[in-house]
Amino acid sequence: MSELNEFKDELETCFGTSCGFCERGCPVYQTLKVKTLCMRGRNRTMLGLLQGKFEITPAVVQAAFECTLCGNCDRWCSLKNTEHTRAFREYLLKHGVEPMKEHSSLVASLKNYGNPWFQPRSARNRWTKGLNIPKAAPGKQEVLFFAGCTSAVTKPLNRSLVATAKLLQRADVKFATMGQDEPCCGSTLLRVGQTDAFEELSADNMKKFESLGIKKIITACPGCYVTLKKSFEKSGSKIEATHAAQEIAKLIEDGKLNIRKSTERMTYHDPCHLGRLGGVFEEPREIVRAAATLVEMPNNRYESRCCGAGAGLQSAFPKLSRELASKRVAEAKATGATTLVTSCPFCETQLRTVPGIKVLDLLELLLDATEIEKNNTTKNAS
Amino acid sequence: MSYIEELITALGKEKVLLDPSERFVYGADWSPRTPDEFEPPDVVVLPRTTRDIQRVIKIAYEHEIPVTAGGGLTGMLGGAVPIFGGIYIDTTTMNSVVEVDQRNQTIRVQAGATLQEVNDAVQPYDLWLPHQPESKWVCTVGSAIACDNDSTFGVRYGKILNCLLSAEIVTGTGEVLELGHRKAHFTSSGYKLKDLLAGSEGTLGIITEATLKLEPIPASRRVDMLVFPRMGSAVDYLNRLLKAGLCIEAAHINCKRRLRFYTHSYKQKFGKDPEIPAWAEALLAIAFAGDVEAVDMQRNYALKLAKEYEAQLVEEREIVEAWWASKYTLDFEPFKQKWPDSQKQKKFGAADPGVPVGRLEEFYHKFVQVAEKHNLEIIGMNAYLEHPNSIGFSLSCAVFVDYRNADEVRRFREFHDELSKLAVAFEGTMSTFMSDTNQKAPYLEVEHGPSLKYMRDVKRLFDPKGILNPGKKFPREVKQDERAQ
Repeated sequence: MSELNEFKDELETCFGTSCGFCERGCPVYQTLKVKTLCMRGRNRTMLGLLQGKFEITPAVVQAAFECTLCGNCDRWCSLKNTEHTRAFREYLLKHGVEPMKEHSSLVASLKNYGNPWFQPRSARNRWTKGLNIPKAAPGKQEVLFFAGCTSAVTKPLNRSLVATAKLLQRADVKFATMGQDEPCCGSTLLRVGQTDAFEELSADNMKKFESLGIKKIITACPGCYVTLKKSFEKSGSKIEATHAAQEIAKLIEDGKLNIRKSTERMTYHDPCHLGRLGGVFEEPREIVRAAATLVEMPNNRYESRCCGAGAGLQSAFPKLSRELASKRVAEAKATGATTLVTSCPFCETQLRTVPGIKVLDLLELLLDATEIEKNNTTKNAS
Repeated sequence: MSYIEELITALGKEKVLLDPSERFVYGADWSPRTPDEFEPPDVVVLPRTTRDIQRVIKIAYEHEIPVTAGGGLTGMLGGAVPIFGGIYIDTTTMNSVVEVDQRNQTIRVQAGATLQEVNDAVQPYDLWLPHQPESKWVCTVGSAIACDNDSTFGVRYGKILNCLLSAEIVTGTGEVLELGHRKAHFTSSGYKLKDLLAGSEGTLGIITEATLKLEPIPASRRVDMLVFPRMGSAVDYLNRLLKAGLCIEAAHINCKRRLRFYTHSYKQKFGKDPEIPAWAEALLAIAFAGDVEAVDMQRNYALKLAKEYEAQLVEEREIVEAWWASKYTLDFEPFKQKWPDSQKQKKFGAADPGVPVGRLEEFYHKFVQVAEKHNLEIIGMNAYLEHPNSIGFSLSCAVFVDYRNADEVRRFREFHDELSKLAVAFEGTMSTFMSDTNQKAPYLEVEHGPSLKYMRDVKRLFDPKGILNPGKKFPREVKQDERAQ
């Protein structure tokens, strides 16, 4: 991971450019209107800090951490803004800033329980009950279904994992899980600036996957997807990381799932990690279109607005986080859709905190559409 | 009580930023300056209402503290940079839409709304605000008025003043005034004080709200590019189109060097600069907009007339589309964008003079000479038609500035000053879209002569203690107690 000093040229380029195009889509800036809380201002703050123009103060720390790392600023820019922010957090932690107490507890939980949510390791395995999924063993399975901490240990989110597993099973995909031995991908560590701890965890994970002879990892969590994908690319590993939506969309295209389409209007919220940061936009939409009528929000795909849950914002800045969720739900409601579909456990939980629209996981939606068809299947033409 | 304590008492501490890091970011705009050349204010305030601004000004008036108001901070010459510290008013926190009158085609907004926010608000009514600088996503209504910046569609709709019906300001004494004619589209009554606001740079008052005239959104638009052997023939051609009665929506003449700056997405796509005929010296980008039939008819007639002026249509649509994306749609590829990419080593810097139409080509050659004399890399010249249905130009004479090199920044400023003064010698003006700022303040008399005294008197009428954006347009007047020392 690059350190803040290595971005000095980019920070100066932002200063030299000063276009401010990042401000228009920044969910935090558009809510709070404080210039240090958007990339042009944040880049200037980093530059000033490196120039020794001021010391680290609470406002500097706030500038670093009051950001969802959603990447909307990057959509309008050729600079690596979210990387600057991540390096900014790391810089502050290395220069004596105590981690935010909310973030420290996530990290402590990760160390003690292997997940950021203070749940025992055994909780990881609960969702697989009755599904008859084999546990990964060296040389036995090439495809690993990686559940991810959040969906695995949070009971209401288990449904999306069950749905994904059932859909894969119905299409005869052979896969295994790691059960309670599944590690955390480290996404949380990375987002809150604990880069060294992340590197260590990531290297351990790599060894585990390789010793199991895994060739492909399917995950239903966008954070895990992007983190694993980038780790594999960086280390030169041949393991392929895919998001479940990509796999399932392929299965639909190959005619391996029977789906009945309803006329219900639904809208799709692109999770930042899956869409803007992971480049997966169309496959989730194909799934929604297969099961319902898709209506788009004005801000979609690259321009999608963050739900406010990302990068530790939900834990450290709950009020702001909720405001961002409210804005996104309002946008969804304005489309006239009955249901807001998404494909990320964080987005799902976050968007559910705002009343007014039904929030549904993408693969739960699809499973429901296939289950109805059990006895009377009509292949969906779309 | 210190003025800062009074500000906190009056506004609440959440609207007052004092931390050095928070103030620091307000200390520079888009203008060429070295990365350590930040001029931060002593305190930043985040007002929500006109009353908030009134409270700030009354405190500043009492304590004689400089007050600079700003919006998107995309000024090209430091207009909203607080060079004497003091209070910075970040108006972007005031971005509410007060009223849209669909029938009258007007909007009343707080001055911190960006031009794009205005357009987002009125688009459902099939209306738009045609004042469209390239900075429209960030540039606020108040800044557009105070800077009198440029617009892509000037030849049809003019600039912001052509859209401005009325504005609310807070003067340098804290008085709230409405200047203009409410929702009437024009007036013959009184002095047109509202017009003083265009290019006033916040030296007369802080603009807090504005009523703007909107236009119906045209159903279609066709943009073309033609190459000419000389700039003069492009000018003659445009004159001919206007004489023919065509309603041109946008017209920009680029020298051939300048085209390269605007075709970033072309380079991204093809990995090379676009090719134009070797004989071509000028490129004219031209747009027609309206109903499809009317647009096609006008475009066809314009292209027919082009033959008389040795012009050739640019057939490669990617060149035209790359230029238009840069100029108007801002439809860049994700994670790529012209601005940061083009500013990595050196940044864009410009002079913005206006000269008589017949001397455009002569001035272009002078621009090249002056840039070379100051050893600056030339980006090129762009002449925008910015007056409704007439041939008047604003000129952007642009160079690359190595902003990490203090000597080059100094040479850029000398280039800017020399070209500005030269424009007056050409019977023109020093500024057409960047205003005067502190850069032109030392020699504003070159353009205005004895009338500058009247301008100072106008300034004193609105701002008797000289607290509003001091140092801009005029050198700062020394305070009484400083004089006594």
